[in-house]
Amino acid sequence: MTSHNLLFMLAVLSAVWAVMARKLLTSAIMLALVSVFASLILFDFNAPWAAVFELSVCAGLITVLFIAGVSLVRAEAERNPEGRAVFQALPLALAIFAIAAWYYVPAFFAGVSDWKLMAAPGGTIGSALWDVRRPDLLGQIVMLAAGVFVIKSIFPKKRPAAAEERTTK
Amino acid sequence: MDKGLLAYLYIPLFTAVVIPFLPKSKPKLADLFANATLLAGLANLAWLCLRPSVIASGFISVPGNGLSLLLVGLIYLVALCVTFFSANYLPEAMPNRGAYYSLLMVSVAAMCGIVTTSDFFTLYVFIEVLAVTSFALITVDETLGGVEGALKYFLLTFPASALIMAGISILLLTLGSLSYESLRTAMSSGLPAGPVTFGVALMMLGFLIKSGVAPFHTWTPDAYQGAYAPVSAHLGGIVTKISGVYAVLKTATLMNFFDGRAQGLSSGIMFLGMLSIAVGALAALRQKDFKRMLAFSSISQVGYIVLAAGLGTPLAVIGAIFHLFNHATFKTVLFLNSASVERSAGTTDMTKLGGLEHSMPWTSWTSVIALLSTAGVPPLSGFWSKLLIILALWESGFKTYAVLALLFSIVTLAYFMMMQKKVFFGKKPAEAGAAPEVSPQLLAPAVLMSAIIVAAGLLFPYFYSYVRMAAERIIL
Amino acid sequence: MSAFSLDWYFITLLIFVGLYGMLVSRSIIRQLIGLEIVSKAAMLAVISAGALTSNLMLAQALIITMIVVEVVVVAAGLALLVKAHRLSGSADIWKLDSLKG
Repeated sequence: MTSHNLLFMLAVLSAVWAVMARKLLTSAIMLALVSVFASLILFDFNAPWAAVFELSVCAGLITVLFIAGVSLVRAEAERNPEGRAVFQALPLALAIFAIAAWYYVPAFFAGVSDWKLMAAPGGTIGSALWDVRRPDLLGQIVMLAAGVFVIKSIFPKKRPAAAEERTTK
Repeated sequence: MDKGLLAYLYIPLFTAVVIPFLPKSKPKLADLFANATLLAGLANLAWLCLRPSVIASGFISVPGNGLSLLLVGLIYLVALCVTFFSANYLPEAMPNRGAYYSLLMVSVAAMCGIVTTSDFFTLYVFIEVLAVTSFALITVDETLGGVEGALKYFLLTFPASALIMAGISILLLTLGSLSYESLRTAMSSGLPAGPVTFGVALMMLGFLIKSGVAPFHTWTPDAYQGAYAPVSAHLGGIVTKISGVYAVLKTATLMNFFDGRAQGLSSGIMFLGMLSIAVGALAALRQKDFKRMLAFSSISQVGYIVLAAGLGTPLAVIGAIFHLFNHATFKTVLFLNSASVERSAGTTDMTKLGGLEHSMPWTSWTSVIALLSTAGVPPLSGFWSKLLIILALWESGFKTYAVLALLFSIVTLAYFMMMQKKVFFGKKPAEAGAAPEVSPQLLAPAVLMSAIIVAAGLLFPYFYSYVRMAAERIIL
Repeated sequence: MSAFSLDWYFITLLIFVGLYGMLVSRSIIRQLIGLEIVSKAAMLAVISAGALTSNLMLAQALIITMIVVEVVVVAAGLALLVKAHRLSGSADIWKLDSLKG
């Protein structure tokens, strides 16, 4: 067992915990842990740029957003708890799926990997982002604009007196 | 990306960013800006491809691949109808009026991004943008129905995105690049197509979920019914067609289905298309709500496009493009009319409506045109596209599918006749209040679109030569 | 067994866990968490494919864009949650059943 596989396994385990946790706050924190493991996997793949992004944005910002959301609905969620049985069945379901998948999935993807097409070496992250993937940057800009307007439309300003307050995301 | 068409993306985006900075004391300025942007874009497009000299030369001089240009025009046309309708429909004191128009403009920009890109990952990014804007648009009025529709949309559309992404990573593995061209090259080379087809199948599944094809259609009726009235026209008319159906069609043309490679994927897509024709038509028969019936009809019509895309012969692709265009025109008319009925009679529940023919003649007759076109009655445009699709099926030997498609076309006519009888003809129920005709400004988009339906049917040879040019450019 | 196929085995498991969470839960937050797990899996799929074909730069560029997309999606989803909560006082999706047919 390499550290690489161990990281993947830990990511799966914390994902299971995130789905199963009784408290929403635990779920959110476990999700952050999944992100941390994903980030470590990215480091392990020698992809530091993506790893840093993942760590700061997904493990950081998204967790903060989730915790804010959880704090809003926590009281209501505790008043009407969901049935636990389906969540507790997850390890069993996962085990069955994992054993069944063990016979097919690795063999299938080993077959797929025979068809890999090696890329030309070289290039930097800057050239990859700016030269090759420039339309994606445009897409990111449109996405951020969309995000701002979504927030603006879902939280409209109620009073005209507050009109001079700038909307921030 | 198709550089020549990028301006159609930048300008709505710019308008979207400008709208929040307009003076708050004049909320109508936002309407004006949005309408002016779209109208200017349309005028520009009309200049590009509707000059007599261009038409006479068989549209040879149209820039780019003709499909992008046609779809950009369609996007602008539907969006213009929606913004013009909204300008007269939105309540005066709507608190998020500016944000509503900004979102509409961003969604136009995102759709232009989708149709102009030539790379799967960029396609994915713009589809995500479109999904985010459209679910915010669904919930723009403060009702629970809107929130519910938006949530169902949200929870089906983003897992579909994850599927698309998984497919993209397989393509990255087997093609080394994500451009459309590399897929086309791989499919026309002699190498075994298995792994590439697997990646494309995952992506295709995501696109099919996003286009609301049965059995993944459960979000569509709720989202359309719950959405704010003009937004359901935007969503049903163009958004799901671009984010899902266009992507299916485009990928299908890249896969060269007709030369027999990826046979399994092709027949799977055709089966799902046929299934959703049947499911949509049969479910529409027993709907009580006007908008919900339109949503099921939309599922059924999308099925025709997907069926043709799965077949993938040149004639089928022409039929699919033409049906995509027609679907946008007639569904926009019907959804806008349902919004007018809602405004005037206060409900879209068909059991409470009736006899609106006399008080709302314009709404009634534009609906008749649109529904006859949907059902494929000659000489309206819907007839030609369905004819092409059924002919293509028959030619390629899928005779059962051809007959079934024809039969369900008759079912379409049946449920729309029922709808028309319940809502517009027949007797007015005693409890229904007066339902006066809506103002001419609200009627104008529906009348314009109906005129386009009639014109596209009567000027079919010109349309056919344009669409054929587009299909030739994207297939070859 | 190659490292690559083992990676994809775990990615499949992650997708299973995420989809399971989305299917069984009624809470919007839990569904969003399931969605996040699925998109993490998709991200790992991209980097794994990139690493196998020594195309890491392209894969990283894709992942950075994916992360930006993901943040906006999550922010929008949580905004929707806030709106649902404000309008109905509930974050339970099955309690929203005004639409029938």
